[in-house]
Amino acid sequence: MMRAMTAILGLLLALTALGACKIVPNPEPGSENAAAQTDEDRMAAKAGEIYAARLVPYVSGKAIDLPVLTTALQGGLDAAGKAHGVRPQAEGSAWNFLLKGQGTVVQANRESRAATMDLDVTGDGQADVTIQLGPVIRGTALRDAADFIVFTDYRDQIEFAKLARALNDRAHGAIALPEGDLTGRTVRFEGAATLRAATDPVLIVPTLLEIQP
Amino acid sequence: MKLTRRLMISALGLAMTAAMPSFASAEGLIAIITPSHDNPFFKAEAVGAEARAKELGYDTVVMVHDDDPNKQLELFNTAIAQGAKAIILDNAGADATVAAVQNAKDAGIPSFLIDREIKESGIAVSQIVSNNYQGAQLGAEEFVRLMGETGQYAELLGREADTNAGIRSSGYHDIIDQYPNMEMVAQQTANWSQTEAYTVMETILQANPEIKGVISGNDTMAMGAWAALEAAGRTDVIVVGFDGSNDVRDSIKAGGIKATVLQPAYRQAQLAVEQADQYLKTGSTGLDEKQLMDCVLINGDNADKLETFALAE
Repeated sequence: MMRAMTAILGLLLALTALGACKIVPNPEPGSENAAAQTDEDRMAAKAGEIYAARLVPYVSGKAIDLPVLTTALQGGLDAAGKAHGVRPQAEGSAWNFLLKGQGTVVQANRESRAATMDLDVTGDGQADVTIQLGPVIRGTALRDAADFIVFTDYRDQIEFAKLARALNDRAHGAIALPEGDLTGRTVRFEGAATLRAATDPVLIVPTLLEIQP
Repeated sequence: MKLTRRLMISALGLAMTAAMPSFASAEGLIAIITPSHDNPFFKAEAVGAEARAKELGYDTVVMVHDDDPNKQLELFNTAIAQGAKAIILDNAGADATVAAVQNAKDAGIPSFLIDREIKESGIAVSQIVSNNYQGAQLGAEEFVRLMGETGQYAELLGREADTNAGIRSSGYHDIIDQYPNMEMVAQQTANWSQTEAYTVMETILQANPEIKGVISGNDTMAMGAWAALEAAGRTDVIVVGFDGSNDVRDSIKAGGIKATVLQPAYRQAQLAVEQADQYLKTGSTGLDEKQLMDCVLINGDNADKLETFALAE
């Protein structure tokens, strides 16, 4: 009896001692901490999970050279899309293409918040593609070109829009270009572009940008 | 004698009851439930869905929930009791609607949602909604261009419980906020309503006489704001709406409101019926549940081609 009492007392003491410790759990998805996050925070975290691990290799694996697209577009946007593009299943959706290539910088606007850089890929001195440099990157090409990102998996349009924005932010964050005028330099790129018409300018969200020596 | 007659009458009654549905339509009943037709947008949805359903051989019943989730639940029970084969729905709230759609599913009736989402997937068969974020960005780009990238402006917000109010506002600001000289001096809800927008616009105008533009979460509020601006002799103010209604089209053509964004509401409603038909016949639509349909900018260049929420080729 006495021994049992001592044991209980000991246990209580041990628990009291434990109570003095503060246990700080790591936030886990589904926990209260996750619930308190804004949509923006959650989608930024989601973008962090998939950007480098899945999206960048996905673009590398699927990207076609720009002239392949240019040639295919001569048969119309739908034909080019069916051969090389990705688009969401909804009627009237735009085609998205994953592209790669190398070109000479013919013009750059690095002053704007929506900074861009034009590349001549074919060597005729004319710009063939525009690379979006950000920080403001327009459109949802990266999200919509990824066939593993499906709207049904997201709560609503707000979440889905925030995801697109967060992926664009990641793309901008990954850009490491030297300061100053890049005109005349050769740049290798991979990225995604949305086309609503065969004659649309090709506006690329880059997942890879490398200045060539 | 009496018994035979009574039996015959009952038999006739039974035969008639049994024959009725096939007289009425080969394919059964489709219930079409939307918000009030006071807003021509919702009327266009109902008309589009009804026309397509009839073409495909269905009977239709058209009902309005007036954005009241309780009324919506009653309408669902009515549709279930009437033995509807499918329900086409523009819903009365992203959270509140989940239960109604689940009831129908439990009763074996598939729902096909248009325009507004619900906050769950796997309950409705299809959710076909306009790409409000993409559309809002189009509207905002045009608004910024018309404003010359500078000046004071006000924003009229839709009903807070509606996901589309939030997504449009966030699409607007993702563009507008990139321009440091665009200054928002007021941001208020007018609950999608034309009359509320009139009153709200009057108040905003009194407090901010320097205002140069108004960007609105939908066309009915844009119409209300424009009426208030006209009454105050401020037709210099740039107004941009969202929806693509015939009212705003006419205002654009008359040099009033400057632009709007077309949601393909008519086609969206027809598409929902086509997917319902496909689902009823094959057990699958063959498509993702949630589908985003792109919007189109409407301004003086293409307003002529707009009719009842559809753009002629």
